[in-house]
Amino acid sequence: MIKRLFHSRVLKHFLKDPLAIVGVLILFVMLIGAIFAPLIAPQNPYNPRELSLQDSLKPPLWMHGGESPFLLGADDQGRDILSTILYGCRTSFMVGFSVVILAGLLGVTIGLIAAFYGGVLDAITMRVADTLFSFSTTLMAMLLLGIFKGGGIPLVILAIVIADWVRYARTMRGSTLAVKQEDYVEAARAIGSHNVRIMFRHILPNAIPPILVVAAVDFGAAVMLEATLSFLGVGVPINEPSLGMMIASGKNYIYAGMWWLTAFPGISLIAIVLGVNLLADWLREEINPRLKRG
Amino acid sequence: MGQRDPPRAVVLMLTYITRRIAQSLMVLLAVSMISFVIFQFMGDPVLTLAGRYATQEQQEAVRHSLGLDRPLHVQYFTFIKNALHGDFGLSYVAQVPVMKLIFERLPATVELAATAMVMALLLGVSLGVISSLHPRSVSSRGIMTGSLLGISLPTFLIGILLILVFAVSLHILPSFGRGRVVSIVGKWRTGFLTLDGWRHLILPALTLGMYQLAVLIRLTRGGMLEALQEDYVRTAWAKGLSPRVVIFKHALRNVLIPVVTVAGLQMGELIAFSIVTESIFQWPGSGKLLLNAIYETDNPVIVAYVMIAAVIILSINILVDILYGVLNPRISYD
Amino acid sequence: MKRVVVLALLGLLAIGLVGLVGIAKDTIVVAVDAPPQTMNPHGSDSDANLSIMANLFDGLLKRDASGTLLPALATSWERMDALTWRFHLRQGVKFHNGNDFTWEDVKYTMERLKIPYPVSEFLAFGGLVASVETVNGDPWTIDITTTTPTPYFDQNLHQVFIMDKESTESRSIGEIGEQPIGTGAYKFVEWVKGSYLRMEANEDYWGGAPSVKYAEIRGITEPSTRAAAIATGEVDIVQNIPVELFDIVTGNPNLEAITAPGRRSIWLGLRNTPGFPASDIRVRKAIYMAINEDEIIDKVLRGHGTPCAQIPDAPTVGYDASIERLPYNPEMAKQLLAEAGYPDGFKIKFTGPNDRYVMDEQIAQAIATQLAKVGIEVEIDTKPKAVYFPEMDEHTLDFYLLGWFDGSFDFGRSFSKLLHSVDPDAGLGGLNGAEYSDPALDSLLEASFNIIDPALRADALRLLNRVAMMEKIAIIPLHYYEDSYAVYKGRGISFTPRPDTWIVFSEMSIGN
Repeated sequence: MIKRLFHSRVLKHFLKDPLAIVGVLILFVMLIGAIFAPLIAPQNPYNPRELSLQDSLKPPLWMHGGESPFLLGADDQGRDILSTILYGCRTSFMVGFSVVILAGLLGVTIGLIAAFYGGVLDAITMRVADTLFSFSTTLMAMLLLGIFKGGGIPLVILAIVIADWVRYARTMRGSTLAVKQEDYVEAARAIGSHNVRIMFRHILPNAIPPILVVAAVDFGAAVMLEATLSFLGVGVPINEPSLGMMIASGKNYIYAGMWWLTAFPGISLIAIVLGVNLLADWLREEINPRLKRG
Repeated sequence: MGQRDPPRAVVLMLTYITRRIAQSLMVLLAVSMISFVIFQFMGDPVLTLAGRYATQEQQEAVRHSLGLDRPLHVQYFTFIKNALHGDFGLSYVAQVPVMKLIFERLPATVELAATAMVMALLLGVSLGVISSLHPRSVSSRGIMTGSLLGISLPTFLIGILLILVFAVSLHILPSFGRGRVVSIVGKWRTGFLTLDGWRHLILPALTLGMYQLAVLIRLTRGGMLEALQEDYVRTAWAKGLSPRVVIFKHALRNVLIPVVTVAGLQMGELIAFSIVTESIFQWPGSGKLLLNAIYETDNPVIVAYVMIAAVIILSINILVDILYGVLNPRISYD
Repeated sequence: MKRVVVLALLGLLAIGLVGLVGIAKDTIVVAVDAPPQTMNPHGSDSDANLSIMANLFDGLLKRDASGTLLPALATSWERMDALTWRFHLRQGVKFHNGNDFTWEDVKYTMERLKIPYPVSEFLAFGGLVASVETVNGDPWTIDITTTTPTPYFDQNLHQVFIMDKESTESRSIGEIGEQPIGTGAYKFVEWVKGSYLRMEANEDYWGGAPSVKYAEIRGITEPSTRAAAIATGEVDIVQNIPVELFDIVTGNPNLEAITAPGRRSIWLGLRNTPGFPASDIRVRKAIYMAINEDEIIDKVLRGHGTPCAQIPDAPTVGYDASIERLPYNPEMAKQLLAEAGYPDGFKIKFTGPNDRYVMDEQIAQAIATQLAKVGIEVEIDTKPKAVYFPEMDEHTLDFYLLGWFDGSFDFGRSFSKLLHSVDPDAGLGGLNGAEYSDPALDSLLEASFNIIDPALRADALRLLNRVAMMEKIAIIPLHYYEDSYAVYKGRGISFTPRPDTWIVFSEMSIGN
């Protein structure tokens, strides 16, 4: 399988595209940082035993007043910024992957079944989906979390998934409807294959490629949404790390000249989303070769 | 398909609209039921309202006057009946009719959102077209990079950055509020008629519209690039029509359809992000009202806001559907 | 093309310059951190709202900038007996709508206080009033009788604003909440919710027309925005300079910073129910000693606070200057915990607001960090005040943060609400978030209710305070805030802060 990947056309295209490589590299670095946070980080900033108020607002190492191990400085509670970023990225990736997997599974299944069976099921499902979609994931998540406060990260993920599955369902439905007409599906029916078998063996694999693009874009969107929700104060609880929350609490200190509380988390957040978007752009081109980028 | 008698097409369109409206009403009902039920289980406004020093008896009196001691379905029906009259009760915090509160703040949000959308549409489509004409040029690449950043930067960061640069460092634009506003038509206070109002509008509108702008640039460019390859465009080139005609009449019109549709359907996003923008810029609109209501558990305001948002979104959807049908004569309404 | 660019640049410059034009100087604009919630003077008992109401309305009495209780709509008053208070009313006062002020307005107001939502948040005070009657048929002398002996009844009257019976009865609650009609030094002009409140001087004010013609209040909750507003001169005075931006603001040569010791004390409530770790006095002492208050003031408040050892402040009846803080001593704390049977510490849940007091959330986090060092694991739960205070009223908290400043300057009233054993029917312990209960302290308080002589009563309250703080460690005191204001220089504005943090425009002036 790996060998196939190495020799594949896809990989060749990928290696030719510098932007895509950059994107994946950035993501990779952030991901490694996030996964190995407990090992790499100088401090676990969410364990009160490791903190000291005396370190409050220390500037980055290279500035006057900076002190090791606070490479990127400390926030107002004495938390090491670098450590907080690493842990914050963890939350971002966790939310991103969870949303994509959950919403993806839910949406793909619903879209596949609705398009396959058609009729009333399809009509009703799409009505519900359309309504949820027009409310937008962002608004739904904000309202839900504004109403149900204090649920922690799982609730944040749930609030996002509730409206997010729709984009997967729609895409899946679209490609299922297209694939449904193909010859090999007709053939499978003719020899009497089960519906379920047809769906999962024949239609699904061929309808998947557009989903990958949606997933990539959605990952970035979910990460940004979590940051926005936490920024507003309705996302991740205060004793759990979040890049959005760091930016929110650091915002007031910018005007006092302490830019590091907001700048570094901000850059990290942008890096993750940018990396994912670069990858998504490349994927989109791969899937839709008619679009010459130039 | 093919040509239909105009009257028949109109009848079909009307039937479609009616059906859509009926569906939307059902959705509204569902939304009202859900939000109402949810709020029954959320928090207890009685304790905050009876004041810090009230006794048990006094709290019961408050509960009774709020109608919170009647059975659930009775409360719901009263709620619906009142809602149809535009009465969503009094805000728990301000003891002022909720509808009044929201409608007073709506002009601020509408002006902000409208400015942001218009800017995003105008700039987005033009930049998208420009960058599709000479895809490899420096300016095109610049636009593409810019738009990539635009979709990768969360709205709140954009707001903070803009304030930092234009208000705090350069001191040329204000960092909060609407500035001087002028009353026109009843209670509508507009910032459009004063220079001060415009100065205050620039940064928030830019913040709110940035994401839409970036999305529209990419969409328009993508659509244009595809359209420019199409046979009918090549034919038009071959026929020797002037470039301007080719671009605007043929390719752009077909690109505009999905662009407008998408823009219209972004209402939900726009409403959501106006909340963020209003928070950062202390813009006294309905988004900020909602945020405060969330923090203070001012349930009547939240419920009314959800209903109004639902009405706006559903209406825009229907409008977009109609517009889509008008723009694209190949759609049938059967 | 070049011309277009030049014109555009000029245009931008023009836009930038126009914004610097100042406001005509017959107005003072004050930015406060909590916007007004309602124009119904009984609709909110928060200091932020009462502060604004004090400009539009008068009570029977008022307090001056030093806190002294003075005549207002009543020219003199006396306590006749345990239940009766006599007031001589001021004649010739008119409401903003031209109606005359009469004793019936007082009676109507007192009765209105008893009406629950959406009318009044002063239900408890209303419940104290038994009757309001004229004396010997004289319409300018009234007796207010209370339901139970309430020594501090008059102390509260500066917060109870008198409304005009006729216009209040004839209008809907919505109108009342938006168009105030009072007897105050300022008349209502306009309220654009979320933006500003505008008032103008009442030329016929009984106390003399105020010198500042127009008054404007802007509620700006966001700290950096508030700082920006004063830094650019968009407002004249700002209340509550955000501590993290304090140096930037004071370093600005256009601004004059004014600080004053605050009256509000911030302290921690702690449950003492049998079985709970903190029911052991040693545990309470340990927690007290494990908290490094100096570090909190230095690092979290950036120096803008002073340590306190008790709930009341100096002017309050019951304040005892001899009460001292327990020293910061984490080693001793660990020892005490071990003695009490918790050598490895224990877990405890801490609840607090995140949008009410200066740095409230950050203080909570700092406390968690400090207590972790002696082995106590603190689970922090901060929430908006709208959710937090109802929880406090349900008495389900274990360890919580509260700020307190009693407008009636009476520690007896404070204690009865905060620390007396919970007794809903008697209206006691309403804000006792963790069901703190100590029968000895309860008796001390109850004994003070019936003492009429103010000096004897003060002694009794001081005793209660001392025993509560030094023997029982009823609460863990943290600090008093520093009230801070910044005034934009060069506009001739004369402003003196009040200890109760009210913004009273009639006390300000614009010099020439």
